[in-house]
Amino acid sequence: MVDPIGGGMVALAAGIAVGATGIGAALGEQMIGSAAVGAMAEDESFFGRGLVMTVIPESIVIFGLVVALILLFVTMPTI
Amino acid sequence: MFKPQAMTKVIIAGSKDYMSIVINALYAHNAVHISDFVDEDDDFKIGKPYANATKLSERAVSLRSIASYLSIKGKEDIQKRYPEGTITDEIDEKTEHLNVEVTQVTDKINDLDSRIKDINDKKRLLDPLKSFDLPLDLYSGYRSLEVFVGTLKGLPDIGDITSDYQLETVPYGKGHVIALFVPKEFGDDVLKRLQDQGYSTLSLPEMEGTPKEILPGLDAQLIELESEKEKRQEDLSALRKRYMDYILASDEYLSIATQKAEAPLRFATTKNAFVIEGWIPTKNLAHIHSDVDLATDGHVMVSEDTSEAVSAEKVPIALENPLPSRPFETLVRAFSLPKYNEIDPTTFVALVYPFLFALMLGDIGYGVTIIVIGLLVRRLLKSKGIRDLAAILVYAGVISLAFGIIYNEFFGVDLVGKNGLILSSYAYPTIPRFDNVLTLLLVTLVIGILMLTLGYVLGFVNEYRQHGLKHAVLSKVSWLLMLYGGVLVIIEILPPLTTGTAISISPPLVGGLVLLVIGLIFLLLDEGILGIAELPSLLSNVLSYTRLLSIGIASAGIALAVNRLSYALFIDKGGVWIIFGVLMLIVGHAVNTALGILDSGLQSLRLHYVEFFTKFYRGGGMKYEPFGYERKYTEEQ
Repeated sequence: MVDPIGGGMVALAAGIAVGATGIGAALGEQMIGSAAVGAMAEDESFFGRGLVMTVIPESIVIFGLVVALILLFVTMPTI
Repeated sequence: MFKPQAMTKVIIAGSKDYMSIVINALYAHNAVHISDFVDEDDDFKIGKPYANATKLSERAVSLRSIASYLSIKGKEDIQKRYPEGTITDEIDEKTEHLNVEVTQVTDKINDLDSRIKDINDKKRLLDPLKSFDLPLDLYSGYRSLEVFVGTLKGLPDIGDITSDYQLETVPYGKGHVIALFVPKEFGDDVLKRLQDQGYSTLSLPEMEGTPKEILPGLDAQLIELESEKEKRQEDLSALRKRYMDYILASDEYLSIATQKAEAPLRFATTKNAFVIEGWIPTKNLAHIHSDVDLATDGHVMVSEDTSEAVSAEKVPIALENPLPSRPFETLVRAFSLPKYNEIDPTTFVALVYPFLFALMLGDIGYGVTIIVIGLLVRRLLKSKGIRDLAAILVYAGVISLAFGIIYNEFFGVDLVGKNGLILSSYAYPTIPRFDNVLTLLLVTLVIGILMLTLGYVLGFVNEYRQHGLKHAVLSKVSWLLMLYGGVLVIIEILPPLTTGTAISISPPLVGGLVLLVIGLIFLLLDEGILGIAELPSLLSNVLSYTRLLSIGIASAGIALAVNRLSYALFIDKGGVWIIFGVLMLIVGHAVNTALGILDSGLQSLRLHYVEFFTKFYRGGGMKYEPFGYERKYTEEQ
């Protein structure tokens, strides 16, 4: 039986983990993305490296997602 | 397979008398990548283009302007190829003739266009006045009256200037149209007042009759002109149909002739001789020898230069992979071509990319969908890049299907087992993703560690080839040691940390720490103190592979949500609601398929570019562009 308050807290924490990291990644990618598109306008062969640079901050949101998954699927059943 | 195509440097030298013969021979061979000659000195100068180059490019310009009038883009297919001889014989005459014919029609169209515009302008001016029943010539030509015709936001407020005026007005658009007649002495004051009120003049065309009478006539003229224009445009498309083959073929002929005529600009020449430096795939070497010998009767020398072959910077790169993995060259090229002494990673990408993609998408339904999409795109589209991506999609689809069977997912529904769609009484051993998050998380971490290991091993090979053993050990083995040392340490200390028990000193822990320290020392020797700044990237690289699970769960979660919502909202209610439910299922899964392709594709690509390639691959190779042409519209004689 899941403790309703504890379970709710875990669900909230999972939401915050994804949401907050999403905002962080978005802020980073916004800056890099616009610079990368600018560089690509100069030289199309920059696409590959531009893509790499742009998605680097995305790891953050993936980590958030992993934390959320662990919270929901591993921690939640133990409460 | 693991290396770019082997290239040999050739030097072709001979008397200028034979230069054009050699150019033709090389061009027909389409295999020599010419290195442009740039270092002029007292002895060697850059060659001069042949005299006909200017004329050829002029012709090409006029031909292309005709082509653009006829909207011929140069990608069209034609039925049969033109023999080159028939083009050379008549190109001057025919292009001139074509130019006249096309210009006649386009001139007419331009003339019609300007007349149509003129009439439309008149209509625009007269339209506001159509409710005033006053002939146009009565709006001007008075000795004692000033006339204002135009648009105004409100009504003119000139009562304080004079009461002696005549005003016609009618609401129009957002304001009013006015025709205001005032005695000449008040003209200036009234104009100022009107301008304050936002007045703009209508400059009337010089015509006779009232607007109401004129407008229908204009409309009739307009229809006539439009139909005339349509006829001329039909003429133009008839011309296009008739001459497209010829234009495409002679454009190709001109491109080829220009390239040949300008080729000496890339050679080193003296007063009487020329030297061509270039690279040729080693397998074609024998042919070029015999070709040039045959064409020049042995008067031109072709020799191989092996002395400079070590300088990998200058060698043009042609990738060489077996047919099944060739589509993946596109992904490597999008990053960067390898250097000549670097490993070509295409094979590894071909093996790993679809696997990582499928690990994320992993659904029987989506797998089949993207196989179908990939095959359709390959059948319908011609662009090579797109076709390559479609082939990759098919590979990924097949493996997604396999993972779908393992995960037991069909559009987010169980296929077999207790809630199974088709076999509820039977179940083969499956690994449902939602029930095995922790296990799959560990699997993704292991995949990450294996990929990084492969990356560092390949990096070791590259460094060994380029900078020798010592550098290879220091720069790559260091990271391998730290990777595995770190893994051992984490395995040993993570369980006690999470349960809060004391950490016991065990042999694996000590071993891990030793590996970490040795690796760190190597790293410091190689990169100095700044190398420490890169240490955290090792952890984040491994953790980055956990996206294989999270993206997958997110995709499966969306599928589940679509299914549950459409069932709860619509299908459960029965009757006509079922239609909405099915519609929601189709739209939802279509969106999720698109997301699945985009997300799995990009994330898998990223795991290659960022986490894998950075361990061994620099790229920056120069593309191999042989001197020659792939003929599409002409044939040689």
